[in-house]
Amino acid sequence: MIETLFEPLPVLCLGKCDPARTGLAWSVFLEAGHLRQATEILYRARYCLEDITAIDAEEGYLGVYHFDHMDQPGRVALRVLAAHDAARLPSIADIFQGAEWHERETTDFYGIVFDGNPNPVPLLLMPEMTVHPLQKEPGARAKLADVLAVGEIVRREPGFDLIPPQAAAGSGSTEA
Amino acid sequence: MISIPPELIRIVVGMIAVMAFVALNVLILVYAERKGAGHIQRRPGPYEVGPHGVLQPLADAGKLMGKQLLTPKSADPILYWVAPILAFLPVLLLFVPMPFGPILTVQDVNLGLLLILAFAGLNVLATLLAGWSQNNKFGLLGAARAVSQSVAYEIPLLLSVLCIAFQYGSLNLSTLVEAQGSWPWQWNILCQPLAFLIFLVSAFAETNRAPFDLPEAESELTAGFHTEYSGMGFGLFFMAEYANMVVVSGVCTALFLGGWKGPVFDGVWWFLIKVYALLALIIWVRWTYPRVRFDQLLNINWKWLLPLATANLLATVFLMKVF
Amino acid sequence: MRYEEMGLTEGDFYSRNFEKGARDDTLILNLGPQHPATHGVLRIIVEMDGEYVIRAEPVIGYLHRMHEKMAEGRQIYQYIPNMGRVDYGHALGWNWALVGAVERLAGFEVPERAEYIRVITTELNRITSHLLWWGAFTLDLGAITPIMYAFDDREQLLDILQIATGSRLTHSSLRIGGVCADINDRFIEACKAFIPHFRARLPMYRDLVTGNIILRKRLEGVGVFDADLLRRYGASGPVVRGSGIAYDIRKAEKLSVYDRFDWSVAVRSEGDSMARYLVRMDEMEQSLNIVEQALDSLPAGKVMMPKAPKVTWAVPKGESYFAFEGARGKVGIHLVSDGGKNPYKIKLRSPCFSNLSLFAEAAQGTLLADALAILGSLDLVIPEIDR
Repeated sequence: MIETLFEPLPVLCLGKCDPARTGLAWSVFLEAGHLRQATEILYRARYCLEDITAIDAEEGYLGVYHFDHMDQPGRVALRVLAAHDAARLPSIADIFQGAEWHERETTDFYGIVFDGNPNPVPLLLMPEMTVHPLQKEPGARAKLADVLAVGEIVRREPGFDLIPPQAAAGSGSTEA
Repeated sequence: MISIPPELIRIVVGMIAVMAFVALNVLILVYAERKGAGHIQRRPGPYEVGPHGVLQPLADAGKLMGKQLLTPKSADPILYWVAPILAFLPVLLLFVPMPFGPILTVQDVNLGLLLILAFAGLNVLATLLAGWSQNNKFGLLGAARAVSQSVAYEIPLLLSVLCIAFQYGSLNLSTLVEAQGSWPWQWNILCQPLAFLIFLVSAFAETNRAPFDLPEAESELTAGFHTEYSGMGFGLFFMAEYANMVVVSGVCTALFLGGWKGPVFDGVWWFLIKVYALLALIIWVRWTYPRVRFDQLLNINWKWLLPLATANLLATVFLMKVF
Repeated sequence: MRYEEMGLTEGDFYSRNFEKGARDDTLILNLGPQHPATHGVLRIIVEMDGEYVIRAEPVIGYLHRMHEKMAEGRQIYQYIPNMGRVDYGHALGWNWALVGAVERLAGFEVPERAEYIRVITTELNRITSHLLWWGAFTLDLGAITPIMYAFDDREQLLDILQIATGSRLTHSSLRIGGVCADINDRFIEACKAFIPHFRARLPMYRDLVTGNIILRKRLEGVGVFDADLLRRYGASGPVVRGSGIAYDIRKAEKLSVYDRFDWSVAVRSEGDSMARYLVRMDEMEQSLNIVEQALDSLPAGKVMMPKAPKVTWAVPKGESYFAFEGARGKVGIHLVSDGGKNPYKIKLRSPCFSNLSLFAEAAQGTLLADALAILGSLDLVIPEIDR
């Protein structure tokens, strides 16, 4: 279903995952510029926003947006990469108003700034705090290819190199 | 030699007795409320202080008197401390025309009912002063609610009382009691049941008792108009509320339930039995029902009680004219 | 009440931030963080025009303990007790979400008896959570007596749960691959005695409290949520089931052994606070049914999978998401592991977090008493929101 929904959208990498092993049905990598369009498609298809979080990896901060559907369950994970030194992502709080709080929390924990958030003040941490607790030490970061569940890749942009092609084989996560 | 008029002696002795009565009643009511609440909620209530907790009210009084009297920094100190005194003192006056027994009335006032209703209105002023002078937003909201509630419910209260007054042509409480018979079917409740119900509901609202206790809605406004009061300031409001309950039950008994008249031997014991029965009802209702929302509370008054009370009064007058 | 204009330095960061958009003739009131009706350390700044709420903003974080950082600092087995502290109301629901995420990632199969024990204890826990909600909600509305009765039943249930899980409140009895210990006959006897007792109590609650006209007038028509609002905020649990959406993860994702029992998802269509209230009352009955059937058909066997991971076991590399139907809604655990000793990241998706975020929009234009009724009908547990 997501395959057809995201047909007009230029995704970086669309993967069909195994829900029994990962809990995800689809994993979609996007450019930050297409995030809002993807979100609007999901809103019109009556998806609900589950949560917004981020993973601090070697390649940058990966913003992860989980959506699920109440009538036909099948979780979609939108993944958008932001650079470590310029951690900015567009806000989707005007499409899914629940995103306002999730984005504020992600800013608190990771320092990612969401442009367009209607109330960009700290949510859980103190306003005086300057540290973002969930940021990792540079040496302790992992590669995204090692940790993510990308599923069976259905569509892929030629220049996308976050996930090497070998990881496409298999139905879920790679095991050590 | 100056002769002291016997009425003056009677009034002085009566007021002392009334003060003792009110104080004793407040203690009893505090105990009864907490025991009643306990047993309705499947727990024993006060149990430790004294046998079965009978000394609990004394312990409460001691605690309240021992607390520090705090005045909030930005509160108006004069108004702040006038308010609880204004809430409590007029209540003593309300007992003057109350017919406890055939001769047990402090002063047989011809306009007894008017006296009671007029001085009960001072309670509204006290609430308003309390809420305003605390300089606390919750207190202000509580006071605003309390004032609109009290002012609104005074009207059906007055109208239902007027029905009885019209019927017997007197505002003197002793006359109204004597006009009723000894047996329950000769009491006014049988000829004015609607007035009785309206009076009872208005009484709940006038004394700020549940289900109409929004001004002190603990879970919404953290104690409403008496938020900032501590120690004896709160204690005076507390006592005033219980004393008001007794007044209202006393008036209800005198008007509708035959006062001190009873089946076997007329006397003050019947008055007390009926008053305490009504108080038990008030306590019972508090612990059973949730709170009515404020606009619904005012709706009940303006849309239901007022038209019904007016219709009742008109019907009474009409029937009296015809028969 | 303009702070800057009056030259006052009153208020804190959040009230100054809130009153930037305030009108001149309105009252700005702080409900909390210490307040009888906000069920914990929650602060809501409201802008009021008389009795009407013009704007409301919840300020959270007073109970924030950074559980997600704790996850990165301890091994996965050491993290199971944290789940009970995140939500003390339905601790087993959060337990299940965590061990479910790990089992999903690692591909572990839980033995049947362990699944049944998980179901029984989790459903009993759901009943205790709903009883606590019911008592506290009616207390908010001014009925001071039902909480005493609710706690009477709850005490019995907590004692029963203590036999099976070892703790009364913050349970951490689920393990990766099973449960910590088998249940004994004392537990089964106690459950079987409790079920008819509680079944007899529910009609009394219905007649005295649910059917009370004052309560109905307080709740009917108050806080109607439509499906679009719920989707935009990601609400879940009884909040959406009160608006006609029959979404229950236990049935939607066919979790564990729930499909072996004859039970139905409690759904009401009105969408107001009364509907959410009735959904939770129905859910208590349904949970009771599930427990009864599970006890009757309890299979024999082990309660831990063969070759269960040791305490120092590390989660294999990968990512998984597991959602469970907690008492308050969809509890989600997003687990990311790089194969190291501690998990790389755990995201705790809290149902109350999403449910509370819709309060700002839902409370606009309502009376203060109604706003508090809506807040109570959302069934909030603040530690879960703040984590």
